[in-house]
Amino acid sequence: MAYWEPIAELDEAPLVLPGTTLHDVTNDISIVSEQPAPRGWWICFLLAATFAGIFVLCVSYLFWRGVGVWGNTSPVYWAWDITNFVWWVGIGHAGTLISAILFIFRQKWRTGINRFAEAMTIFAVICALIFPGIHVGRPWVVYWMFPLPNQMNLWPNFKSPLLWDLFAVGTYFTVSLLFWYTGLIPDLATLRDRSTNIWRQRVYGFFALGWRGSNRHWQHYERAYLILAAISTPLVLSVHSVVSMDFATSVIPGWHTTIFPPYFVAGAVFSGFAMVETVLLIARTVFKLHRVVLMRHLELMNKFLLLTSLLVGYAYGMEFFIAWYSGNQYEMAHFLVNRPTGPFWWAWVWMVSCNCLVPQIYWFRSMRTNIPVMFIASILINIGMWFERFVIIVLSLNRDFLPSAWGYYRPTIIDVGVFSGTIGVFFTFFLLFMRWLPMVAMAEVKGTMAAADPHYGHKKHAEHDEHEHAHALAPAAEGAE
Amino acid sequence: MSKRAPYPSPAPAPSKGEPWPGSPRYWRSLEERAKLSASSTEEAGGASGIESPEFPAGHTTTPPSDESLVFSRRGLLGAMAATFALVGAEGCRRPVEKIVPYTRMPEDVIPGVPSHYATVIARRGDAAGLLVECHEGRPTKIEGNPEHTSSYGAADQVTQATILELYDPERSQTPRKGGAPATWEAFEAELAAKLASFDKDQGTRLRLLMPPTLSPTVLRMRAALAQRFPKARVHTWAAVNDSAIREGSRIAFGEPASVLHAYERAKIIVSLDSDFLQTETSNVRSTKLFSNGRRLRSARDAQMNRLYVVEPALTTTGANADHRLRLPASDVERFAYALAAELGKQGLPLADAAASVQKRANADGIPAKWLTAVARDLLANKGRAVVIAGSRQPAAVHALALALTNLLGTTSAVGQLQIFLPVADPDELDVVEDIKALADAMGTGRVEALVILGGNPVYDAPADLGFKDKLAKVPFVVHSSLFVDETSSLATWHLPRAHEFESWGDARSVDSTVSIQQPLIAPLYAGRSDIELLGFMAKAPEKSAYDAVRRTALDFIAMMNGMQTCGPMVDGKAECRDGNGNTVPLHENDVEAQWGSGLSKGFLIRARAPMKAPALRLAEIAAAIEKRPTAVRPSGTMEVTFAACPKMVDGRFANNTWLQEAPDSVTKIVWDNAAILSPATAKALGVANKDMITIAAGGRSITAGAWIVPGQADGSVALTLGWGRTKAGRIGNGRGFDAYPLRTTDALGFAAAQVSKAGGEAYFFAQTQEHNSAEHRPIIHEATLAEYKSTPNFSEVDSPPPRSLPLWSQRDYSQGHQWGMTIDLTTCTGCSACLVACIAENNVPVVGKLEVWRGREMHWLRVDRYYIDDAKRGASEDDPIVVHEPVMCVHCEEAPCENVCPVNATTHGPEGLNEMAYNRCIGTRYCANNCPYKVRKFNYLNWHNDVVWKDTNGLPETLQMQQNPNVTVRFRGVMEKCSYCIQRIQSAKIKAKREYREVHDGEIRTACQQTCPADAIVFGDLNDPKSLATKWARVDRRFGLLAELGTRPRTTYLGKVRNPNPEMA
Repeated sequence: MAYWEPIAELDEAPLVLPGTTLHDVTNDISIVSEQPAPRGWWICFLLAATFAGIFVLCVSYLFWRGVGVWGNTSPVYWAWDITNFVWWVGIGHAGTLISAILFIFRQKWRTGINRFAEAMTIFAVICALIFPGIHVGRPWVVYWMFPLPNQMNLWPNFKSPLLWDLFAVGTYFTVSLLFWYTGLIPDLATLRDRSTNIWRQRVYGFFALGWRGSNRHWQHYERAYLILAAISTPLVLSVHSVVSMDFATSVIPGWHTTIFPPYFVAGAVFSGFAMVETVLLIARTVFKLHRVVLMRHLELMNKFLLLTSLLVGYAYGMEFFIAWYSGNQYEMAHFLVNRPTGPFWWAWVWMVSCNCLVPQIYWFRSMRTNIPVMFIASILINIGMWFERFVIIVLSLNRDFLPSAWGYYRPTIIDVGVFSGTIGVFFTFFLLFMRWLPMVAMAEVKGTMAAADPHYGHKKHAEHDEHEHAHALAPAAEGAE
Repeated sequence: MSKRAPYPSPAPAPSKGEPWPGSPRYWRSLEERAKLSASSTEEAGGASGIESPEFPAGHTTTPPSDESLVFSRRGLLGAMAATFALVGAEGCRRPVEKIVPYTRMPEDVIPGVPSHYATVIARRGDAAGLLVECHEGRPTKIEGNPEHTSSYGAADQVTQATILELYDPERSQTPRKGGAPATWEAFEAELAAKLASFDKDQGTRLRLLMPPTLSPTVLRMRAALAQRFPKARVHTWAAVNDSAIREGSRIAFGEPASVLHAYERAKIIVSLDSDFLQTETSNVRSTKLFSNGRRLRSARDAQMNRLYVVEPALTTTGANADHRLRLPASDVERFAYALAAELGKQGLPLADAAASVQKRANADGIPAKWLTAVARDLLANKGRAVVIAGSRQPAAVHALALALTNLLGTTSAVGQLQIFLPVADPDELDVVEDIKALADAMGTGRVEALVILGGNPVYDAPADLGFKDKLAKVPFVVHSSLFVDETSSLATWHLPRAHEFESWGDARSVDSTVSIQQPLIAPLYAGRSDIELLGFMAKAPEKSAYDAVRRTALDFIAMMNGMQTCGPMVDGKAECRDGNGNTVPLHENDVEAQWGSGLSKGFLIRARAPMKAPALRLAEIAAAIEKRPTAVRPSGTMEVTFAACPKMVDGRFANNTWLQEAPDSVTKIVWDNAAILSPATAKALGVANKDMITIAAGGRSITAGAWIVPGQADGSVALTLGWGRTKAGRIGNGRGFDAYPLRTTDALGFAAAQVSKAGGEAYFFAQTQEHNSAEHRPIIHEATLAEYKSTPNFSEVDSPPPRSLPLWSQRDYSQGHQWGMTIDLTTCTGCSACLVACIAENNVPVVGKLEVWRGREMHWLRVDRYYIDDAKRGASEDDPIVVHEPVMCVHCEEAPCENVCPVNATTHGPEGLNEMAYNRCIGTRYCANNCPYKVRKFNYLNWHNDVVWKDTNGLPETLQMQQNPNVTVRFRGVMEKCSYCIQRIQSAKIKAKREYREVHDGEIRTACQQTCPADAIVFGDLNDPKSLATKWARVDRRFGLLAELGTRPRTTYLGKVRNPNPEMA
């Protein structure tokens, strides 16, 4: 059986609309950056750039006056800032998960969406990394977090989870960026080759690193890609596990929970897929990518959402159970009283409804394949996951051990400005990416098409299965022979 | 450019090539050394030292000579380079700054080492002896004078905050005529002319108004004024006063006397609406003595007094009661009669008064056991029982309370319980009558000149007098005050008054200790003291306040030496007469010595032996009771009560940011007062928390924001005085609700009132603590005395430290100093003096009402207040038990904050302190999140410059003068918290090291500990087995707050023990 072929027994369908040629794929994707941007792009871009501008203004004001322009208070020393950080990091998960883990597991359906997802990872992690930088009281010395040699021999505190966090997210960002760029090289070369304008030729040519598509190039490329995928895979799991340790290593009820690392990873994948889906649905509509991004992709993503939703729901339930089972009165007061009935009960209701109830619709195929439904659901899940982080951070802090120190939290307009601003920054980057870079991995998509098969046209030779499979699986090995 | 002579060389410079005579010899190898010594022995006085040149031959070592400068190529280039360099330098000129070294230092002032001066400050009826810390002549911090019997080294929150009042940038800075700045000379000329015109009629048309005074010199000046103007009258008025107490003692004993109660010896204390631990006269002294009667060392010999409180509104005293009855203030009187009647019934010989109290006793709505059981308890402790009444209760109640205490036996084996002392001013009248007389005279145009020394009568005089309108009829009004306030703005002349820390004065405490008020700083603004003004008016011979005070002191010194009258000092000697009428000389040297020691100790004369106890006049008391109207409050109306604010007192501290931001000890409201309602009353009125309500009494009404406090008497609305100022300054204007419009001459303490919901928007209150219940958490441990005796370690039973091992390797705490603190919740009254002391010591910023509402108050020390409704202990949701718990950084040995800081900004010191390096802090706030005590405070904004003082372009310079130079002023973006006053630890250690000794136990006192009137805080070295801190840390009822988390807190608490009467259950 050829690897590109759908497995009929599993009720699979082709990954590219039948009848699509290799040229169609190249053309559909490349033309986006070669033709003037459609009106929809401009509208989206101006909107996003406006919010990015708001972001710059709000952060300037924040730097000028201090963190007090946000609503953070005592005891809620972290609020929207870290909520947004964790939310963005979580969103940044799906990209590498789709690229690396699915790549290693040979999930060929990932090819339609992996470039998107990876770009999203990069931009989401950029948005995430903004927050640790700007949320500190004295941002001009934030570099003290790094282990920089200095004459006083003063090092950061390696016991601090914030430091682990910095390393984890930093590594993740670096590796994700490399991974993304490596994957882009053949496609950049395609764009270069199609360019008629000298500047496009030069810029794409520069970034294409002299790619000529030779056998040797492909061999190195495939190997590098595989290595990077292997490096990325543990990072997908580690980054959010480490982020969760910001909370899990503390003593605060609601934070001090051993379930956090897997729970955070599941939540991150959940929110990441939701965000990929949101963005993908917009791009698919605006740039008419129906031939490459099939309903099948979307349906698979929805299945993933359902699975991770159940994982997250399980974690929610387990937190409640352990709080009750531990008999610890502070834990019980937090999980059984403060979360559902405290002053922020509404945040908890948002979290549970969006994250646990909404995805239940995906038990039904009709819902899984309904684009308006999945668009709304993906946004609701994003909201729900934002509230999950809000619940974990703000609801744990606002009522901890000593009732005398309890307090309410109220965000300010600057909080809203900064958060919506990062969404603007994210989409600004994303829209620029869609406009100027191949937003679908052309080379990889082509690899899944029938035309890419050396035995193209020969259907189902049971006796040749083994042989063909080996060939098809390892084009790199083939080239090395 | 300083032009100082260079430091003289020790010897003339040796000739070229020679080392300094006697200098060591330098050699590079043994051979060389051998050669060296050979040469030196061979040719003595020859070239010695370094024999061979350092550089090998051929190397030029001599600098180019002048000749070579001109001719050699190298020299030319060098000269050119120098020329070019100097061409550029031509325009530069170092600024001429005269360096003034501290060579002519004031005596005993060492830069960087604070000095302490003893002084005194008048507080209502008592004078608090103080020690003021000064840095290079700048007073920065107030402490009580440990040797002074009115403070015993402690100070309350208001006294702590007076240092800020001294530096208030909005204090009046110049005399003003009709509002326009003028000069003292102009004023003196005008006043002198005016006074001269009064000489004819002996001052009939001249009146003075001043608060009751404790100053012997003021009294002497007043007498001198009376000599010049026999018909002029000096009136006294203070909105918060002790006239009823004074009148009560006059009724009971025939003469006004100061009555002190020895609370430390009492077993049973019944307070009839007296907040003697916070707002009454001598609160610091009372708290000290009261807490001494409750100090428990261990369960074995545990003994403590029992406090019954009957009061309308929850006060500090009520919160500390073993039994508290909430009763409207107007019903306290009948409670007193009913209790007296019950005591009579149970056998107390009331004699003449028995019939009248019986007649007036009305026990409606008073639980029977509150009469029978309390009476039994009092009688069972004869000789050790005290009944006291609050200053707002009528004189008859005071007379009765004094009589009851007296009849229950004032002397016993433990000593005297009721101590009588002469009053400071024997001529003082009832202030209400006095100001009424003045107002009448003003109203009928009989006053031509009114001189108001201090006080603010336009704001705080009884509303029915119409003082403001009548003041307009006086042609010449002089008002001397610290601020241009409500009264100043209506006066002809406003005069800036010198602050108590700027001027000479004296004061007499309740116990007749006479102390000298010595200035700590020259007047910041052109202020003058009352003594100087009175002296000017009286044409007194003393030209300055110093001379006047010294002259008064001379009389006291003579008296101490057994002399009575002294003539003027001539040639260092004065002629005095002793008790027998013989002439004895008094030498100036002796006077000087005693004056000097009086200044340095802080008091001239110790408390004098009490007066002989006067005879009780029960018949007069009976008559006074009979005269009281029967129905104080018409049925169907409510009652509004007025109390001195624990922070604003009568409004004088309205412009004080520390006090504005210090939370009320009960409501925890800041920057406002509130109309306090009980839950039931609020429900009946349909009023929710924060709703505006209208309170009408005596034909006037005010609207105020309502605040529901459990424990408030039903049918009673409580307001504190001193709020709603209109001309207090930028800080105090428009804060809170002014209760004075409801306060009339016949209802200074409380009044019948109509209360209704006002509608409109809810008022915006800010609180520092928003949750009132302890949620049944083991964070505060309480027991009764009986429970304590049976379970001495009741506190640890609920929250034992964990058995699990710490996460990180353990430190060795067995070496060196290991600091620790213990707070005794049994004696802590929750008065919040520690909180203000901490602000003063540690430069804690003020953040303003809005930021407190956000939850960003910066207090390093907070006093938590929880309500407890425990049916078993007779407490309900409407009438709870109140506990206070001061919380500051507990300096965990396993500190959660330290592990999580990414930059090591908070670390553990070798002496067990959890230390904050502000410079290293980047402000991630993770430490504060992970602090289970939530004692870390974050500088969200640049509090000092950017919030409260934004409009003045930063913290005013005068307020900067107050700041403690030994404590960093924190910038925005960094975390801060209690440091155990590390600056005090360090300076004590440095001092000990310089004196080659160990730090003594008790030598280091944290600011909160030092000021605590109840001595509830102990700090010291836990590695010293003999230190008090170690002993306290081993007391059986200790507990570590949240120790079950494994934090190993260094601050421990001693569980709260109360002493309820089993009969009351």
